[in-house]
Amino acid sequence: MTATLPRRSGTIFIVDDDLSFLRSVSRLLGAVGYTVQAFASAQEFLDRLVPEMSGCVVADLQMPGMNGLELQDALRRSANPMPVIFLTGQGDIPTTVNAMRSGAEDFLTKRARKEELLAAVERAFERDAQERQQRARSQVLRRRFDELSKRELEVLAHVVQGRMNKQIAANLNINVRTVKLHRTNITRKLGVQSVAELTRLVDEAGLFKAPRDGRLNPS
Amino acid sequence: MAAALVFGLISFGVSDCQAQASTNEPGLPVKRVLMIFNEGKDVPGNIVLEQAVRTELQRACTNRIEFLTEFLDASHFSDKEHFQVFQDYIGKKYAGQKLDLILAFPSRDYRLAGELPKALFPDVPVVFVAVNEMEVPELLHKLGVTGIVQRFDIRGTLGLIMRLQPDTRRIVVIGGVSDVDRATLGRITEASRALEGVEFDFWTNRPAVELPGALKSLPEGTVVLVSTMINDVNGQTFYMSQLVQVVASSASVPVYVLGGWVLGSGAVGGSVVDSEDLGARAAELAVRLLNGANPEKLPIEVVTKGTPMVDWRALERWDIKQSRLPANCVIRYRPHSVWEQHRALIVFVGVVLLAQAITIAALLVQRRQRRRAEQEIQRQRMELMHVARVSTVGQLASALTHELNQPLGAILRNAEAAEIYLQKDQPNLEEIRAILADIRRDDKRAGDVIDRMRTLFKRRSLTSGRLDLRNLVEDTVALVRADAKARQIQLSAQISPQLPAVQGDRVHLQQVLLNLILNGMDAMDAVPKDRRSLVVRVGETEEGTLQVAVSDCGMGIAPDAAGHIFEPFFTTKPDGMGMGLAISRTIIEAHGGNIRVEGNALKGTTFTFTLPRMKSEQAPDGGLPASR
Repeated sequence: MTATLPRRSGTIFIVDDDLSFLRSVSRLLGAVGYTVQAFASAQEFLDRLVPEMSGCVVADLQMPGMNGLELQDALRRSANPMPVIFLTGQGDIPTTVNAMRSGAEDFLTKRARKEELLAAVERAFERDAQERQQRARSQVLRRRFDELSKRELEVLAHVVQGRMNKQIAANLNINVRTVKLHRTNITRKLGVQSVAELTRLVDEAGLFKAPRDGRLNPS
Repeated sequence: MAAALVFGLISFGVSDCQAQASTNEPGLPVKRVLMIFNEGKDVPGNIVLEQAVRTELQRACTNRIEFLTEFLDASHFSDKEHFQVFQDYIGKKYAGQKLDLILAFPSRDYRLAGELPKALFPDVPVVFVAVNEMEVPELLHKLGVTGIVQRFDIRGTLGLIMRLQPDTRRIVVIGGVSDVDRATLGRITEASRALEGVEFDFWTNRPAVELPGALKSLPEGTVVLVSTMINDVNGQTFYMSQLVQVVASSASVPVYVLGGWVLGSGAVGGSVVDSEDLGARAAELAVRLLNGANPEKLPIEVVTKGTPMVDWRALERWDIKQSRLPANCVIRYRPHSVWEQHRALIVFVGVVLLAQAITIAALLVQRRQRRRAEQEIQRQRMELMHVARVSTVGQLASALTHELNQPLGAILRNAEAAEIYLQKDQPNLEEIRAILADIRRDDKRAGDVIDRMRTLFKRRSLTSGRLDLRNLVEDTVALVRADAKARQIQLSAQISPQLPAVQGDRVHLQQVLLNLILNGMDAMDAVPKDRRSLVVRVGETEEGTLQVAVSDCGMGIAPDAAGHIFEPFFTTKPDGMGMGLAISRTIIEAHGGNIRVEGNALKGTTFTFTLPRMKSEQAPDGGLPASR
């Protein structure tokens, strides 16, 4: 199966300060059929990062300057939060837990079996594709919300939390009729029929949430 | 003097002549003793005899004694007329003089003891001493003269010869032709009959001048016995001592004699007349007469027993065993042994040496025990150092595993890549060759890590050798680099170029440095990542010693802790053993260096240790080699 992996679009970005290992792993993944880009430090990679890059990152956990976890953190805050697979000389439990909690796709030792590495890469690619799709759909949805006025967005935020019109009116210091009017405008502009439908839409668009929340169960 | 007198009285309790007083009584009258000798003044036998008599008399008598001596010199003037002249002379010389005793020493006849004193001094008691074989004339008894006649102990001498030399087959007897000589020879002949199986050869008709030649070639089994030779056949006169000297110096066999006074000129010895003993006995007799004893009641004593006496040198010369000597034998001329001469000194020195030896032995034992104890301490110290070293390296285990996994992982990935290349229809050999080169390099990298670690695990004692400090520091820094990286610590070494070599134990010094570096890294756990740095500086001090300084920028050391930091079991770490720095100091001091701690400008701590440069090392600027 090794040489006949389903070709996917995307690149593996490999970051390791150990040049010998960097070269060897690039060589392997290249031979298997992936497109590979190698970087000797986290900063070097981040400097080249653009939203158009897709695929996954394979990074050494322990590096001078910015280490693997810090790289993952920076990546997550960026516009292109690709999944990260950590490779380490020796994985101790605290570091592993920490990395996984931060949303690491996988955590492998440098001498892990090739199949494990390739499987991890496959999973990461899949997740990246899903997340990329998700991000694209959210973006379309969010554009629909762009038609709402500032006040309508404020009202919407209260509505999806299940508040009554009277409560909303008191909270925003407006009268109940005005609240009803805003709600009508919202449902009309977004083309939804019920509050349940409205709530799902808001959820799908990722509105009113902390940005890039870590997901332990992406599927 | 009064004190001496009192002393004398108390000591001996007697005041007559027999008291053993050493000083003569001043108050008592002087005793005058006339000694008349038949021979000349210089006859050796008489000199000994006279001396013995004088000494004994003076010793035994409390009165002071005045000695008067006259010599007839019969050897040279033997005619009757001369005797008359001598008698007249004595008579005239001592007329009216008070004499207390006459001591006569007759030899050829007894006129000196009988006729002469009776004619001149009828009232003066007479004592005589004679050594000869002549019969004592009746006249002496009648005149009431007393004295001692000492005979030669011929029987005893022959016995001694046979005892000392049992193999003797022939005895050559040398004697003269005078009456006295003949009398002696007669007695020898008489005695010889008792000896069976021994041939006696009497050389009486040979002139003395021929003797040396004749004696020169006597066969083994022969001995010579010298009798008297007042006249030889040519009419020449000899003293016994002269004769013995001639005979003993030329004879090819041992020579035996009859008179004790001739001993010492080469003869072996004999059962001889002991002149000193004889003199003493005569003096004793004289003292009794001086004290008023009646001479008529003291019979003339005829002594035939001699004293066995030998010359030690002659025994040696003729190889005669001393074990054969009779128990009462007097040995003359034996060199005093060192023991006899310096007994007290030898005992003292011996005691001192013994005490010294015991002291030295005790010190040796003590030293051995101490050395054994030191060895045990040393062994335990080595054991402790080893444990500390292993535990130190143990701290690095995680980092080292990482450092090993790096090249091993690279090797694995490369191998896997190569497999894939090989499965292709046209394998890229260029790439595969590059892969193999990488594998080889990574293998070496892993091997180096293991080598660095392995030496530190070895159990070994201190060994001293030439060390390149740069190499040592670089190796140690390489060992901890992985750990430093994992802990986000900037680790650097600043080593000045042209460092002289030091003498020391590589592993132990590495242990010290490793310990200091790990301590420094531990101290920086709480410091923000971007400020964590540790520097090892190696250089030479102005005094010419080498110096290694390990500086961290950690929390520093509390002032009250700084004084105890090198003490065993002192630690500021929750899981520390407190041995690292104590062991480090032990190691550095064993190398002749010292170690100190101080705060630094980075608010951290700097540990500095110095090491003396290798002694034979030439200074890098080409200076003279240090004196060894």
